[in-house]
Amino acid sequence: MTVMTHAEALVAAIRECMDEDENVALVWGSLMGVGGNNDHVEHIKADFADRIFHPPISEAAIAAIATGAAMDGVRTIFPMGTASFMFRAWDQIIHEAGAAHYMSNGAVSIPAVFHVVHGLRGGGSVQHSQSPQSMLWNAPGIEIAMPSCPADAKGLMRTAIKSNNPTVFIDHQKLNKRSGEVPAGAYDIPFGVADIKRVGADVTIVATSLQVVHALEAAETLSAVGIEAEIVDLRSLVPLDEEAILTSVGKTGRLLVVDEAPPRCSVASEVVATVAEKGMDLLKAPPVRLNRLPVHVPANVALEDFVGPNTDRIVEAAKTLCG
Amino acid sequence: MDKARLLDIFRHMILIRRFEEAVYDFHEQKLFGGHYHLYIGQEATGAAVMASLGAEDRIFSTHRNHGHLIARGVDPKNALAEILNRADGTNGGRGGTFHIADASVGMPHTSALVGGSVPLAAGAGFAAKLKKSGGIGVSMFGDGCFEEGVVFETLNLARMWELPVIFVCENNTPGAVLKSAGGNNTSNLPEGRVIQIPEALGMECHKVDGGDAEAVDVLFADCAARVRATGQPIFIEALTERWPGNYFSFPSMVTGVTQVSMAWDGGSISGEHQEWFLNHDPVLRFARQLLVSGVANFGDIVGIDVEVTETIKAAKEFAQSSPLPGTDSVYAHVLAGEG
Ligand SMILES: Cc1ncc(C[n+]2csc(CCOP(=O)(O)OP(=O)(O)O)c2C)c(N)n1
Ligand SMILES: [Mg+2]
Repeated sequence: MTVMTHAEALVAAIRECMDEDENVALVWGSLMGVGGNNDHVEHIKADFADRIFHPPISEAAIAAIATGAAMDGVRTIFPMGTASFMFRAWDQIIHEAGAAHYMSNGAVSIPAVFHVVHGLRGGGSVQHSQSPQSMLWNAPGIEIAMPSCPADAKGLMRTAIKSNNPTVFIDHQKLNKRSGEVPAGAYDIPFGVADIKRVGADVTIVATSLQVVHALEAAETLSAVGIEAEIVDLRSLVPLDEEAILTSVGKTGRLLVVDEAPPRCSVASEVVATVAEKGMDLLKAPPVRLNRLPVHVPANVALEDFVGPNTDRIVEAAKTLCG
Repeated sequence: MDKARLLDIFRHMILIRRFEEAVYDFHEQKLFGGHYHLYIGQEATGAAVMASLGAEDRIFSTHRNHGHLIARGVDPKNALAEILNRADGTNGGRGGTFHIADASVGMPHTSALVGGSVPLAAGAGFAAKLKKSGGIGVSMFGDGCFEEGVVFETLNLARMWELPVIFVCENNTPGAVLKSAGGNNTSNLPEGRVIQIPEALGMECHKVDGGDAEAVDVLFADCAARVRATGQPIFIEALTERWPGNYFSFPSMVTGVTQVSMAWDGGSISGEHQEWFLNHDPVLRFARQLLVSGVANFGDIVGIDVEVTETIKAAKEFAQSSPLPGTDSVYAHVLAGEG
């Protein structure tokens, strides 16, 4: 085990994959939104100069170039920075990357990775705070990965690069500088395998990305008042580990889903719907969705905090659910 | 030569400069969070453009919007309050530095997405044409916007539909750290310049030194009159030397708080940024021009600076004492009510 930041773990995964496979290419912008952390990417720049392409501000064209190159086996990693910017490339990701395999009757596959940084980041205001995961989840043919810690970030990024499907890899600005233990050597974390980040018997909290961190913090507070939360980190939305969700709800009988997308047709909605369809009899109480409010994100950080799910709100919601 | 007009442009330029120094100070004091962008170094373009625009005209800006708003006449109190996300801000505090806008002065919406506001300005031209309002649409945008496809689409449409729009591309790439060195985005085409794109569409195009307020004023006044008369779009590339504080993702006040006396007291200029003070700082450049042409004397310039500095001091106090919007405010205006 070594301790790394989230950003370093992502870079380590990219480095390994570029070493292992000469068909891996990288579009070099502000890599992974790491901004000032760009130091630990210098070695990639130095060692793989011929596989790195500096992007103009052209999200749509680059997404489609990555898609076209993928049809010939080139695995392009395209970090778009703030997830809000990916809407420029929506058509290319959904209609071209996400549909080519299906449209070719399976003849063509699209091993491209679109990396974005979602969520409430502290002053991002309306146009720099999007959480596109649920909108993407509504489009067939795209894998969606959402790590919550450095160890998962590394293993999931390796899987994203090696996957023969287009993957949208969704990180959070507030995760980049967080540190965590990362296993030594190369390892892949398969998609579709949720991770139980905390074991508990009273309430199941399903979360993704930064909300897993918030849920873990909330669990400590809840434990002090006698509520033991089980935290299910989905890690990928496509494919979805339904079994892990249902198993945990079977144990606790209570479901709280925390999600930074606004509530209608959200990740939380989908998880709740899945449990309603397949595990209604497991529930002791109506399930609860804790989402960003159905409004735009105001610039003010206090109001930004107010519209988002946060640790306090998770505690409150879990207490009410268990009360 | 219209003395009052030139002094008014200068007053707006120094007002923008003092405003941006205040924004920098607020950020240093951590009074607002996140990313932000200053208009220092581009004051001549914004101030001179606004001098030829009237109430029927609509202007659309970008992430680098502060100077455009101030030049257009937004009260600095409300603009600073917006940057601090306070209730008295132009947008009620919900937009912040990226999105300062004020429909009451014809700047209805500011997009922080690169290229986002360029077609909106063409939309204002479309509306003016439809309503025969006599107004024009003006798009103030950065050179990086040419990297986004929607900008080409908009230029093409403005030509096809004969929309009364002026596209002002503020090219601040000269002097910027090159992309290859990991610096800010630049827009030089592999062969040639961005102006060749609207030229290829047969649009009337002009290049101007964006750091020369008088040159921008003369050109823009002429273009605005012609667009009003013909209804045809015009493209202007205003080239400005990049302010040395605008090299990195966050602005840094490497050139210090501006001393207007540097305009006449060459002996006070030295050090690393000497070249900037002597040849590029548009505020100092224009002050020198006004002095040489006899439009203003030292006293006039100092007088304007003192007045403007007072205005900004009061605006800072106003912004800091304005309340934060209440949490209930977040629910307001997701959808419009009955029309
Ligand atoms: C669609 C989109 N992609 C990326 C960004 C991030 N971004 C913000 S400003 C900027 C550079 C813009 O350059 P330019 O248009 O020349 O304006 P300048 O900052 O030089 O005034 C970039 C890439 C964005 N805001 N929107
Ligand atoms: Mg620029």
